[in-house]
Amino acid sequence: MTRMSYPADLYGRRDRDRFWVAVNTFFTSVQRVRMLRSPVLPPVREVDRSADLVVRSVRKVAEDVVALTLAAPDGGVLPAWHPGCHLDLHLPSGRRRQYSLCGDPSDRRTYRIAVRRLPDGGGGSVEIHDEVTEGDVLKIQGPRNAFPLIPRDRYLFIAGGIGITPILPMVQAAHRAGADWRLIYTGRTRETLPFLDELAGLPSARITIRTDDTDGIPTSADLLADATPGTAVHVCGPAPMIDTIRAAFPSDATLHYERFAPAPVTNGHPFEVELKRSGRVLQVPPTRSALDVIKEEQPDVAYSCRQGFCGTCKVSVLSGDVDQRAPSDPPGDDTMLICVSRATKGRLTLDL
Amino acid sequence: MTAQLGEPDNLVLQARDVRFDWSAVPLHWIPRDPVATHLVNVLHMLLPAGEEWFVRVFKEAVPLVRDDRLREDVLGFIGQEAMHAASHDGVLDHFVDQGLDVRPFVRQAEFFFETMLGDRGLTGDRRRAWLNERISLIAAIEHFTGVLGDWILNAEALDRAGADPMMLDLLRWHGAEEVEHRHVAHELFMHLDGRYPVRVRAMAETITMLTSLWQRGHRYLMAADPIVQGRVKGGVRHMRRTGAQGLTPSGRMVGASIGRYLRRDYSPLNEGSTEQALAYLASSPAAQAALR
Repeated sequence: MTRMSYPADLYGRRDRDRFWVAVNTFFTSVQRVRMLRSPVLPPVREVDRSADLVVRSVRKVAEDVVALTLAAPDGGVLPAWHPGCHLDLHLPSGRRRQYSLCGDPSDRRTYRIAVRRLPDGGGGSVEIHDEVTEGDVLKIQGPRNAFPLIPRDRYLFIAGGIGITPILPMVQAAHRAGADWRLIYTGRTRETLPFLDELAGLPSARITIRTDDTDGIPTSADLLADATPGTAVHVCGPAPMIDTIRAAFPSDATLHYERFAPAPVTNGHPFEVELKRSGRVLQVPPTRSALDVIKEEQPDVAYSCRQGFCGTCKVSVLSGDVDQRAPSDPPGDDTMLICVSRATKGRLTLDL
Repeated sequence: MTAQLGEPDNLVLQARDVRFDWSAVPLHWIPRDPVATHLVNVLHMLLPAGEEWFVRVFKEAVPLVRDDRLREDVLGFIGQEAMHAASHDGVLDHFVDQGLDVRPFVRQAEFFFETMLGDRGLTGDRRRAWLNERISLIAAIEHFTGVLGDWILNAEALDRAGADPMMLDLLRWHGAEEVEHRHVAHELFMHLDGRYPVRVRAMAETITMLTSLWQRGHRYLMAADPIVQGRVKGGVRHMRRTGAQGLTPSGRMVGASIGRYLRRDYSPLNEGSTEQALAYLASSPAAQAALR
C-alpha cells in the first residue's frame, strides 16, 4: 500500500489528523491479517425471473389494436400487480417490449395487454399483430411498476389513444376506492379507442371522450379544466400531449406520468464510437443514443436516468469532438454522458 | 376520502431531476436551535463523499449481477444516489457562503470514503472480496438511511418548530427515495455474498464509524459556527434532548432498528412505507418541479 495522504486536523493544529491516522492504521492492519488467508467468494447464483405464459386469446379491441390475454400454462396463480404495472415481453424475434397491464388486478390467473399496430415503429407491435396467435408461448418478465397510482382523494386521468392501457385499471381502482375521479380519453376517432365498452360500466358523468375528428385537437385548457387544487393528474399518451399538459400545468395540482422512456433523439447525425478496451467500432444511427448502441455490445455498461442529468454513464473521451447535450455534461473536460451526448462528426474513442 | 390502494411493490427505480435554491435558507434552519440543526447538518457533510462512493462501488458490482431485475434496481439506485450527492453538495457551498467553513470536515469525509474505502489497488479475487466487503458496509449504511428516511417523512416536530421548507423538502425527497430503494443494497449483498457473519461485522463497523463521525462532525460544526462560536460544545449526547423533542432521531429508535437488522430474516421492506414515500414524492415541490 502506498503512503497515505492523511487529511489535516479539523482545528488546524496538525497536518495529519491523529484520529484518521489511528483509524486507518488499525483498519489497514486488520485487512493485512485477513489477507493472509485466501479470500472466500461465495458463488453467485443465476436468478431467472422470466416466465413462459400462454396466449389464451387474441381479440381485436379497436382499429389496429389487439388485446392479448396471457395465462400460466397450468392455469395457476400469477404474481399480483397494481395499476400502472407493465410486463416485459420477449418476442420470438428477440425483440423486447414493455406493455402496460390493462386487465383486472383481482383476476390472479390472467394478464391482459393491448398493443396498437405501429407500422413505423421498431417492429415489435407489427410482430405481435402479424405473428402471435392463440396458443403461442411468450417469455415475459415482471410485472414491474414505473407509473404507480398515487393515493389521493381526487383524480384526473388523461389517456391519449393506446395510453388508456395503464389508465383503465387506475380508473377502476379509484372508482372502487370511492375516490372523486374524472377521465378524459382522447384519440383520432371513436373507432381507434379501445375499451369504450368497459368504460360504459362506469358513471358516464365522470368520463369525457374527445375525438379529433369531431372535437379537434384538445388544448391544455380542454385537458386540465378538472385539475382543481389537490388533484392528482395521471397522464399517459403521446409525447406532444404530455408536453401540452406540462406547459400549462397548474401549480396546486400534482402531475404524474411514466417517465422512463428517454426523450427521442432530435437533430442527431450518425457517428462512430470506438471502444478502446475491446477495439470494437460501433455505428450510432441518427435516431439512437450512443448508450443504446453500446449497451447491445456491452450489456454491463453503467447508466441510470438516460436523460443526461444523473451522470452515471459518464465516460472518458480519448479522442474526437463531443456534442455536449446533457445539462450535467460540462463542456471542456474530456468526458461525456453517453446517454444523450453525441459526436459532432466522425468518430469518438471512448475509455470503455 | 383518500383512496386506500395498498403497498405498491415491484417499483421501477428512477432518478428524479431535482433542483434546489439555497439562497434564502438561514444558517440555523431549525429556528433558534443550532444544536439540532447541526446534528442534521453532519449528514450534509458526509453524504456527497459517501454517496459518490456508493455509486463507484455499485458501478463496479453491476457486471457481477446475474439477476436482471436486481441489475435494473442497482442502476436505478445508482442514479438516485448520484442525485442525492449532487444536491447535498449544493447545501455545503451555501454553508461556506454563510461563513460556516465545512471544508476541513468534508476533506476528512473524502479521505474516509475515497482513500480508506477506495479500491486499495487490489486485483483478482482480493479485489472481488474487498468489493463484497464494501457492499456489505453499504448495505448496513443503507439500513440507517432507510430508517432515517422513514423518520424524516414522519418528523412533524420539525414542521412545528418552523424548520425551513426548502431544507425539509431536500431531506424528505432524499428520505423518500431512500425508503423507495431501501431493499436494493441488502439484496445486492445477499446476491453476491449473503453470509450472516459478514453482515454482523459490517454493522459493527458501521455503528462505530457513524458514531465517531457524528460526534466529531457535530463538535466541529458547533465550534466553526459563526454565531455559536463554540459556546456550546457539540456531541451526540445532545440527541437525548433533540431526540425526545422529535427534532432528530432518538437513540432508542435507532437502537431498536439495529436489533431488527441483526435478525437472520431481516428484510428492509419491513422498515418504512413505500406508499408514504411515493405520496411524499408526488407532492414534493422539488420532485414535482422536475416533472414540469
